[in-house]
Amino acid sequence: MSVAVGSRSIRLERRLHVDPRRSALIRVIGLLASLVVVALLLAITGRDVPVLAGEILDTTLGTSFGLQSTAVLATPILLDAIAVAIPLRMRLWNIGVEGQFYVGALAAAGVGIYVDAPGPILLVLMALAGALGGALWILVPALARAFWNVNEIITTLLLNFVAIQWVTWFSIGPWRDKEAEVVSATPEVGARLPVLIENGILHIGFFLPLILAAAFFVVFRSWRWGYEVDMIGGNPRAAEFAGVDVRRRIMSVMLLSGALAGISGMVHLSGASGRLQGTISNQYGLSGFIVAALAGASFVALIAGGLFIALLLASGVALQGVGLSVYIVLAVYGLALIGIGVGEMASRYRLTIGDRREHPVGSERGPP
Amino acid sequence: MSIEDLFAAIRTAIDAGVVIAFAGSGELLAERVGVLNLGQEGLIGIGAVTAVLAADAGAGPWVAFVVGMAAAGLMGFLFAVSVVVIRTNQVLTGLAVVLTGVGLSNQIGNGFQGSPVMHTFETLRIPFLADIPQLGPALFNHSPPVYLCYIALPVVVWFLLFRTRHGMNLRAVGQDPAAADAAGINVTGIRLAYTTIGSALSGAGGAFLMLDLTPVWSVNVARSRGWVALALVIFAAWRPALLVVGAFLFGALDSLNFLIQRLNLGIPSSLLKMMPYIVTLALIIVPAVLTRFGFKGRSTVAPGALAQPYFREER
Repeated sequence: MSVAVGSRSIRLERRLHVDPRRSALIRVIGLLASLVVVALLLAITGRDVPVLAGEILDTTLGTSFGLQSTAVLATPILLDAIAVAIPLRMRLWNIGVEGQFYVGALAAAGVGIYVDAPGPILLVLMALAGALGGALWILVPALARAFWNVNEIITTLLLNFVAIQWVTWFSIGPWRDKEAEVVSATPEVGARLPVLIENGILHIGFFLPLILAAAFFVVFRSWRWGYEVDMIGGNPRAAEFAGVDVRRRIMSVMLLSGALAGISGMVHLSGASGRLQGTISNQYGLSGFIVAALAGASFVALIAGGLFIALLLASGVALQGVGLSVYIVLAVYGLALIGIGVGEMASRYRLTIGDRREHPVGSERGPP
Repeated sequence: MSIEDLFAAIRTAIDAGVVIAFAGSGELLAERVGVLNLGQEGLIGIGAVTAVLAADAGAGPWVAFVVGMAAAGLMGFLFAVSVVVIRTNQVLTGLAVVLTGVGLSNQIGNGFQGSPVMHTFETLRIPFLADIPQLGPALFNHSPPVYLCYIALPVVVWFLLFRTRHGMNLRAVGQDPAAADAAGINVTGIRLAYTTIGSALSGAGGAFLMLDLTPVWSVNVARSRGWVALALVIFAAWRPALLVVGAFLFGALDSLNFLIQRLNLGIPSSLLKMMPYIVTLALIIVPAVLTRFGFKGRSTVAPGALAQPYFREER
């Protein structure tokens, strides 16, 4: 694409090499730009932006409770983001993490309520049930993708709505807590993840995504399985010629993704909510999806992104204090996303201004 | 259940399908030119809330309808500029539209919670046809946008896509933008135009929601109809008439739920609510499986360049 201005032309050129550090910097600039837009909008509608910003930082990072609740919020988002990032490395979009999270929590709750076992063993059983539930929930989309070539974006998405209804039905129907008169939730599960600080809310589940991100970083750097997945992501036909069983990889990657999302549901259930209910996920799956996609499926960038999104969502409390509804956070979230997305593209291309005669028609393709 | 109940259910089914038919047709146009617009849920919300704003300012239903279309069209245009000109990732930018649209519409609509929209569409009885016993009132006694949506919309979209040269060009843009570009077709212009028009149609769906179907604002007004519209485009294999049929079927499932709940058969409402999604999923997967096992059916292949940004220098 080139725009002629007089005898000069402004061209958008693809960079052959994208420096990751520069790319990250530009994304952050894109993000800051969108936050500036939000600040301007707030200022126009008569809010004192500096005071508000101070309040947001105070309620999220300024107190121990604020820090803890941000970390608790970040845990399911990060786990879901890892679940999305793995299939994303072979260009498969699992938008169904929300549903797999729900079914994982459902399966874990079933074990946690009805199985009688000592705490640690029960937690392991719950995690296994959660992983199985999540994997089961992605099985049909995975089969459809691997064997019948049905696009996974919509199939995984549709099952989200089904999963939410199952959880709602179980928690207000057969598994409802009859003793505590809690109308829309199950009884508390038999084992809870321990908290880190006495009387605090931060549970040890927070470390799981950090450990998993490090583990998958290694897997994709030096394991054959990870290398093959990346290869399929780069060029599926080339991978097939090289002898990679693409269908088997699709199945293993998608089932692993579902299982991780299911474990995310189990961790949130046993670490934070305690009881299963229809509203157990506050769209963590969507946030995790966004974080993974923005991080370009990089396990390092994903941690930073997930923590930031958790901070953004946690800041909703301060915004509500000045008469804005919780929904405005969603809108800010969307704008931030666009800002980062534009930044990502900007880092891949560069504007060049040159003499038009230097660029004869044949050279449009650039160097080979 | 009496025969009256059945026809009343058909009437509701028709109305319930309209929102999805509008949004789905809009999505179909965008996907035909190669743009995956996941933002339906947000666009319906924006169309709905701006229609409410217009109606609150005293506008008649048609003006409010057009306002809803224009607002969603504007948002769709911004989305199109982002994905077509700047070439941001279509999936991510689409989700950004969902978040921004749902967030903004909920924020604006908050003040209208529980207060019904003043000027809604009046029903338009089709003379003679509406006098047919039972069937007449069920089929021929709706508000004007309903007829627009079931009769005019699929015909116009079908004619545009498959019976005009321009339609051939725009399908070419969705199939193989490089070839279309080489043939002198303005790829960027067509993608911008049809993504915007498609978004305006989704806005029409949202406006209809507020001006006829359920004329009271409620939080998350689209109620995942936008996602269903996206799924139905695949079910319909990118064909306009089939899409409208699918939308009506979904509306029928919706009103069937309502009917079953009223009959009090003891089936929990959550289980009924998941049915439409399971049916939609089956409608997407089953044809693909049949094709796989040798049944020669209609083509179910997506536009070749769907969700692919086009960059001339990278052919």
